[in-house]
Amino acid sequence: MMNKSFAVTLEPGTSLENHTGSWRTLRPVNVFKLPPCNKQCPAGENIQQWLYYAAEGDYEHAWRILTEENPMPACMGRVCYHTCEGKCNRGFLDESVGINSVERFLGDYALEHKLAFKRPVKETGKKVLVIGAGPAGLAAAYHLRHFGHTVHVVEQAPEAGGMMRYGIPVYRLPRNILDAEIKRIEDMGVTIECGRKVPDIEAEKKAGKYDAVIITTGAGISQNVDIPQGDTNRVLSALKVLGEIETKGEIQIARRVAVYGGGNTAVDVARSLRRIGAEPVIVYRRNRDKMPANEEEMDAAIAEGIQVKWLSTIAGATKDSLKIEKMALDENGYPQPTGEYEELPTDAVVLAIGQNVEKDILAKLEGLNMERDNIVVDPETMMTSLNGIFAAGDVATTDRTVTHAIGMGKNAARGVNAFLKGQVYKKQPKNPDAKFEDMHPWYYTDAPKTVRAELEVARRTSTFDEVQHGLTEENAIFEARRCLSCGNCMECDNCYGVCPDSAVVKLGPGKGYEFNYDYCKGCGVCAQECPCGHIKMVPEQI
Amino acid sequence: MLRQIEGSLGVAQAVALCRPGVVCAYPISPQTHIVENVGKFVKTGALKDCDFLNVESEFSAISVAIGSAAGGCRTYTATASQGLLYMAEGIYSASGLGLPIVMTVASRAIGGPINIWNDHSDSLSQRDSGWLQLFCESNQDAVDTHIMAFKIAEKVGLPVMVCMDGFVLTHAFERLDIPSQEQIDEFLPPYEPREYLTTKEPVSIGAMVGPEAFTEVRFLQQRKMAKALKVIEEVTAEYRKLTGSKSGGLLECYNCENADLKLIIMGSTVGTAKDEIDRLKKEGINVGIISLKSFRPFPYEAMRQAIGDTKQVICLERAFSFGGRGIICPEVKRAMEGTNCDIKTAVCGLGGRAIYGTTINAMVKHALAGKFTEEFTWFDVDSNVLNSYTKNAEGVTFPEGPLGASQLEASVKHA
Repeated sequence: MMNKSFAVTLEPGTSLENHTGSWRTLRPVNVFKLPPCNKQCPAGENIQQWLYYAAEGDYEHAWRILTEENPMPACMGRVCYHTCEGKCNRGFLDESVGINSVERFLGDYALEHKLAFKRPVKETGKKVLVIGAGPAGLAAAYHLRHFGHTVHVVEQAPEAGGMMRYGIPVYRLPRNILDAEIKRIEDMGVTIECGRKVPDIEAEKKAGKYDAVIITTGAGISQNVDIPQGDTNRVLSALKVLGEIETKGEIQIARRVAVYGGGNTAVDVARSLRRIGAEPVIVYRRNRDKMPANEEEMDAAIAEGIQVKWLSTIAGATKDSLKIEKMALDENGYPQPTGEYEELPTDAVVLAIGQNVEKDILAKLEGLNMERDNIVVDPETMMTSLNGIFAAGDVATTDRTVTHAIGMGKNAARGVNAFLKGQVYKKQPKNPDAKFEDMHPWYYTDAPKTVRAELEVARRTSTFDEVQHGLTEENAIFEARRCLSCGNCMECDNCYGVCPDSAVVKLGPGKGYEFNYDYCKGCGVCAQECPCGHIKMVPEQI
Repeated sequence: MLRQIEGSLGVAQAVALCRPGVVCAYPISPQTHIVENVGKFVKTGALKDCDFLNVESEFSAISVAIGSAAGGCRTYTATASQGLLYMAEGIYSASGLGLPIVMTVASRAIGGPINIWNDHSDSLSQRDSGWLQLFCESNQDAVDTHIMAFKIAEKVGLPVMVCMDGFVLTHAFERLDIPSQEQIDEFLPPYEPREYLTTKEPVSIGAMVGPEAFTEVRFLQQRKMAKALKVIEEVTAEYRKLTGSKSGGLLECYNCENADLKLIIMGSTVGTAKDEIDRLKKEGINVGIISLKSFRPFPYEAMRQAIGDTKQVICLERAFSFGGRGIICPEVKRAMEGTNCDIKTAVCGLGGRAIYGTTINAMVKHALAGKFTEEFTWFDVDSNVLNSYTKNAEGVTFPEGPLGASQLEASVKHA
């Protein structure tokens, strides 16, 4: 027995009589903010959340969270231009988190461990037709199936995948990965019928007794430009070149090839041609700063020895050369002709200046609203001007990336799901932005970004082997742990540790904390010491 | 065993002999060498079962000390000057909670302006903190007092500051007799806390006490101080018997028999004064020295006896109270209440100004000539230095020699 001092030493918990919470003028509350990566993700991925589970080493859980939004993480971890990383708050500290590389790791992990999507618990009996098995169509089919609907996808190409198969070169996306991720969607019970073009959508809908249709036919026609030419210089379209390389493994073209354009497709074409032994030159009318192509892809192209003629347009072509006109940017950054010309020895030209929507079957839909090259859709429900007919992907947007298509496909599925219940889909309001200024980054240790290994440049001119390698588990977990968890709790225990009143209550793993307002004096230390800005002090109503 | 070593090393060895379980420290001159040495002992294994904690401030040092003492562990730390002030909040907590921490204060002036040299303004600033304050007149006294301090603190249930003059003692190399481990193990058994924080029998220490019991808590705290007077004497007697040392005690008299004048001094100045008193004795001047060891608790009764029927007492003070007067003198006056003893303050030795034998000699002659006419005198003030400023700035000049408080006050009236 202890010999207790009078009044100084008391039974445990005696101070609980003092409800110091009554002194409070500010109260801490947990706020959930929208991390900039999540906000930026065109597929609407909950990146911060799946990074959290990846950082815990719970890769399956991370993958399950990820695939709630995007069913193709292994593809995404390869072809997504990861604009999320450009918005990552960690960029203010050292370098952004390598979100894309962790996504690929999770995608590959799931394939390696043969993780499957759960089949729907209940069948709704509703039938939905999806036209086009590109990223938008596949995403829509996946989500619709998830809701319990019966989904049939019709694809005019011989195989599913859309631009992921016929546009993106193999060195960026190995086809076994693509095939496996498509197969996993099929395993949920989605049927994909390839090699058939739907001639009449209304008729197909009626005949198949579909309750709704989603048009995800993409933008598969290469845009043309009129090049005054003699009949001898070959002019090909980018999609023809990429498609032929995909199906035949090669293309008979020429040695010296000019690739006309500055977008991602131009870069894909040039890098593909390099691999079959050609000497491609990208001809682009503006400069590098103004180039729409992804910076990393362009860096890789230059590393592979691809030449670029900046500020150049093709004014004409003869048998073995192009007439190039030099351009100059005006004060608004637009290229203007200079009247100066030069010759570029070339045997062929590939046009990569954009793609158009195939309009023939759309034209048959009476009352379908189009705007320029796109179907007009309601931005929330993705429904077209025709009741029960929805659209997503390149056919309905000018923002034509795989990731954006997947996001649109998801939204269209949600729109259809609500429609099938006789409701109108409304997007959930977003949480306020998690800004770097609201965070307390002192607690984060410096940790440079993990760089993914790449195939040596010398070997890239002869093979279509995948250029970028994946992360090891060790690297992936390190990278995931670099996440600052902006605006969302990562259970670091800082609030719990610093609270002078022991008024922060731990709720257990994954459940976060709550405040015991009987004792919280509102000192705000927790809010100051929360690294991720998850705690906000709000005035009490007095 | 006698060894010629630095005072700080001697104190570190003394602390190590006491087998503390936790030593925490933040460096500040002139205390640093002590904890550096203790740190070395821990690192080399000479001091076993001791956690040596480097902390990031004195506030943390006292906080760690409070935590470890409340956890039932023998605890030591050291500081000085501004470091002591930075600890102030925790210092009061430690005494209020009755935690027997031992802390060296290597006394040094408080800035600003910054001054690293010795006086007593730092330790005396904590006069009312509820800690015992034991002053050391030599390094041997410091070595012994540290050892006794642990026993006193643990017996009384209050923390102890061992105050030793910075640099003058801490950095001086002299012959020290360090007791053996066997002796100290016999003297100071392992610490058995009367209460401590443990999960086996949870208690809550230092929670709120309201007006209904706070006065009583303070009364009991003061009662410990009263008990401490007795404990200091007992422990000193025990220690002296064991080691043959002459250290410790509440106060120590030197040449006090039939002295015409007694000087009351704390700290290392006692040594200088003793030598000078021996010289004065040869001139036929009989002056006694009362070396005040325990400033808190203040030994009123022992002081009254030590002064006896001597009619004139000068308190040599190395700190004072701004807007007031001396700090030691009022305590001595309280001790001598009702007698006709004449008690005065001579302030000197501030911020490291050396107190020589000649200073003591002059002070004694000044006193015996009846020139201490006021309660408070600036004894070693240099009027040349003062006048170099006040003459031009305010047209005020001060005469040479010691200045009474009234001269300072008058200079303001006429300025």
